[in-house]
Amino acid sequence: MTAETSVRIVAARPAGHDAGSFGPFGSGWAAAEAVEAALQPTPLDAQPSAYVQTAWANRRHGVTPSARVAAAVAGGVLRVRVQWAASSPRPAITDNNVFADACALLFPLDGKQAELMTMGDADHPVRAWHWRAGTPDPFVLTATGLGTTSRQAMPHGVAVEAEWHAGEWAVVFSGAPEAAGASSVPMGVAIWQGATEERGGLAAHTPAWITLELPR
Amino acid sequence: MATVNSKPTRQLAMVFDLNKCLGCQSCTIACKTLWTDAPGMESMWWNIVNTLPGQGTPRGAFTHGGGYKDGKPVPGTFPSLREYGEAWDFDHQATFGDGERIPLHPRNRDGSTPEWGPNWDEDMGGGEYPNSFFFYLQQICANCSKPACLEACPREGLYRREEDGIILIDEERCHGYRFCAEACPYKRIYFNPQRAIAQKCISCYPRLEAGVAPACVRQCPGRVRHIDYMDNLEGHPYKLVKEWKVALPLRPDFGTEPNVFYVPPLAPSAFNESGEFDDSRNRIPEGYMRELFGPAVDDALETISREREKVARGEQSELMDILISRDWNDLMGPFTQNPAQLSRPVPEK
Ligand code: SF4
Ligand code: SF4
Repeated sequence: MTAETSVRIVAARPAGHDAGSFGPFGSGWAAAEAVEAALQPTPLDAQPSAYVQTAWANRRHGVTPSARVAAAVAGGVLRVRVQWAASSPRPAITDNNVFADACALLFPLDGKQAELMTMGDADHPVRAWHWRAGTPDPFVLTATGLGTTSRQAMPHGVAVEAEWHAGEWAVVFSGAPEAAGASSVPMGVAIWQGATEERGGLAAHTPAWITLELPR
Repeated sequence: MATVNSKPTRQLAMVFDLNKCLGCQSCTIACKTLWTDAPGMESMWWNIVNTLPGQGTPRGAFTHGGGYKDGKPVPGTFPSLREYGEAWDFDHQATFGDGERIPLHPRNRDGSTPEWGPNWDEDMGGGEYPNSFFFYLQQICANCSKPACLEACPREGLYRREEDGIILIDEERCHGYRFCAEACPYKRIYFNPQRAIAQKCISCYPRLEAGVAPACVRQCPGRVRHIDYMDNLEGHPYKLVKEWKVALPLRPDFGTEPNVFYVPPLAPSAFNESGEFDDSRNRIPEGYMRELFGPAVDDALETISREREKVARGEQSELMDILISRDWNDLMGPFTQNPAQLSRPVPEK
């Protein structure tokens, strides 16, 4: 079981802002407090591939040290913004050996029992909203452990907007969270840096569920 | 899914006879037109024939890692598209239009002039005159018994068919991580940038299921390619690999136990300094043959020479009969069905 960290993101409920100002670098975000969430590399020995374990034994992965997370509810829509430093952005898969930057929001499907770092297990599934630079449509992943993810199209109403500016990605996921109507939602963040060829289980994660609070 | 890599009940095998290949690329084109003409597959050559000694496809084909050493996976890289060779554009209008005729020349996607491509060093070969030499090496996915590609994938995106050992990529499960491409020591996996998935030779399994030999096998005018199940004791692969021991895996040191085998090329004798034949030396250096096919190549070449001499003396040789295959149907094992006699399914709209 993954412990919950003390990281709490309180969704702002700004008044007087139109939805348009909540783009990746929109002015509306000034009303929301951004929280720095520390990230850790996914454990190498949990990777379900001897090749990956061997090939990455002397390479770094999960190099993103932290992500800034903020949330806002405006016009009845919940938005979560994730920002992280990417000095060598990979905005698309442009070659055989080029990997695009990516970001996911993870939600346990069973309360807080699922292990976040290994994407849950057979009894504790995890769902992720996944954005990958250069891929027009974001998708939803459901996982019951590393290597088990299956992809579906995003549920209706969920959208992702992303922009890279001055050494930083800002990605805004908007739409209803999994536990719609709840006052707080456990959430994880994962970042893949294309520059270090991160993909699949090679990422940086929040080490435990963080709490997204949704004040009424 | 622990069963994705279990030992198949039967193993399909192929033998390519390097002494007979014309380098015509009919196999390459047969494959291209059948399987890789869709968008995103432009630069894929699931079958490729390269001149050796040479760089191969991709450039430096056997230098990108992957496979196994002492049973452990060897880290590999996935060469860039340019190293494999882009699908070039040709300005036909400039050449065949009404204006000044500009000779046809290829262009990369960004308009630049290519500096590398598949089979780029065709017919250059190696060795020093008068002992220069070359031969053609055909490559497809070898459906390895220890498939580094499959074992590298963290999400069981590849699987081995129980009925014939063919290794396939499940395009629904593949998320385009490309660990398979890094891990394949033969670099026989391609990446489809439009679909962000890996793709490779499928051994023409839909043809096999209809009793038809793979396109590369059936279209080969050189009668280079033999196919059958390895458990058929009368089949050519069994005879050539197990009985006569003249067909060998390529780069056995890569440790993946491929199921495509090669009859090594028997070159003429080398010339000595005074320009006479030195029958003690083959024109292709032994060291190079051993590097490609392992130490068993010495005996294989000796067996082929011996059997060839037998035939030259007017005697019979089962080995030479198999290698010559006077009836081309004999090359194809149980897959002799003529595809032209099958009704074609109408593609779904
Ligand atoms: S040749 Fe490469 S792609 Fe084919 S089975 Fe062997 S390791 Fe896999
Ligand atoms: S079709 Fe046959 S002869 Fe022609 S290149 Fe291919 S293997 Fe060689």
